[in-house]
Amino acid sequence: MKVGFVGCPPHDIMREYESEELIDLDNDLGRVEEKSDLYLPKISCSVIKRVFNNALAIKPQKIIFDVGEGKCDSGRFLSWILKEHFNMDIIETRNQNRRGRGTVICDSRLPLKRKFELILNNVIENRDFKLEREPHPKAGFWSVPCWDSRIFDLFPDGTTILGWTRCFENGTPDDLELECYAREDIPTVFYAQTFCSKNLLAKNLARVYRGLYVDCDGMLTASVEAKIEAFLYLRGAVR
Amino acid sequence: MTVFADFGSTWTKIVDSSVRILRTKDVPRDIIADIACGHNAKIRSKRCINELIALCEGGLRLIDEKDFLLVDVGSRDIKYVIYKDSRFVETGWNQECGASQGFAVELLEMYYGLDYNELEPIENGHPVTCGLIGISRIFDEIIKTGNERKAIARFVKGIATNVYHFTGKPKRMYLSGGLCDNRLFIDSLPCDVLPLGRLVLIEGLKEIHKRTSL
Repeated sequence: MKVGFVGCPPHDIMREYESEELIDLDNDLGRVEEKSDLYLPKISCSVIKRVFNNALAIKPQKIIFDVGEGKCDSGRFLSWILKEHFNMDIIETRNQNRRGRGTVICDSRLPLKRKFELILNNVIENRDFKLEREPHPKAGFWSVPCWDSRIFDLFPDGTTILGWTRCFENGTPDDLELECYAREDIPTVFYAQTFCSKNLLAKNLARVYRGLYVDCDGMLTASVEAKIEAFLYLRGAVR
Repeated sequence: MTVFADFGSTWTKIVDSSVRILRTKDVPRDIIADIACGHNAKIRSKRCINELIALCEGGLRLIDEKDFLLVDVGSRDIKYVIYKDSRFVETGWNQECGASQGFAVELLEMYYGLDYNELEPIENGHPVTCGLIGISRIFDEIIKTGNERKAIARFVKGIATNVYHFTGKPKRMYLSGGLCDNRLFIDSLPCDVLPLGRLVLIEGLKEIHKRTSL
């Protein structure tokens, strides 16, 4: 049975379905038909559009949809739409876990792209990693998982992951205090998908921690790429 | 002789033993710069530099102050950098919402045969975030009032206001790019403006070249 999931549902419910084919609908699942333009407003964030397109294309028998504060209102509304208008079998969860499992991957020396792959896949694989910690990260990346993963290539290896993705690895997706953790001594890019309410946090955290705030709607644009490249260079994170 | 080039979307600045400012569409295809930034710099130079980095380096070379905001208004974008106590603090590059504003200013000048240095600045501008939408507003106003000069001055005021807001409403800004020669634009900005001309990015490239060839 195909079981889709959205956001970071509680560990217990994911274990109930671990013998099924679990599919992360937030992720890039290859070419799927674009239907969001028919049903969702243009001002929906790219990740919400992707969840919608993936759900309609994959047609999982069940979707475990985390609709708590660890996701967003758009996610909660989309869950309702999929259930009521598209007759999908939705299991709604609200992950309020506070027993953190740690942020070993976020703080490791691995390249940023590899870190995101491990974190996202680990919802399904549920492995414990022993990775060497990067004691002096040259850069920080505060974000949710990005629609366009090419952004990761701009950062030096060992870039520390902050924001919701850090909460995701920790298994505490609605922990706002952890989500807002950052360090002024690490040049940090605060990234949010255009139209996502996390832009409020990203812009203000960037101001307070002297970081770079960027928002991007889907594909990485040349100007966003250039801003990140220049910021990391001018703050001494890359040479 | 080292060839420096800033390949803008509509104007290209090439500096070797001379200074040439050419329409980008007229730049000979065989010109390959030693060090360049901008439109097509990756394929038209031996070394391509990020435009924001070139802008920073140009600012540091030309501005004798520890704190400054430098904004480059190009044909299709707006970029700025802020330095405090000689340290980089902030940058912004608005390619999407600043779309084609500089180019629209140029098109209007050609179409209406205007001299921007002879137009008076106007107090209230059109809310302009995109050149194309701005042009449509101008046409609306011209249809209503028949006053081309006033409509265009309002458009330029809108662009100036957009630049001012995008850069965080500074008290003072250094200006780079072709609009340094546009008196109406400078007078429409609601802050002190110090124009540095069209070769700021080239100066940045020179600085980078000097430092890395030592």
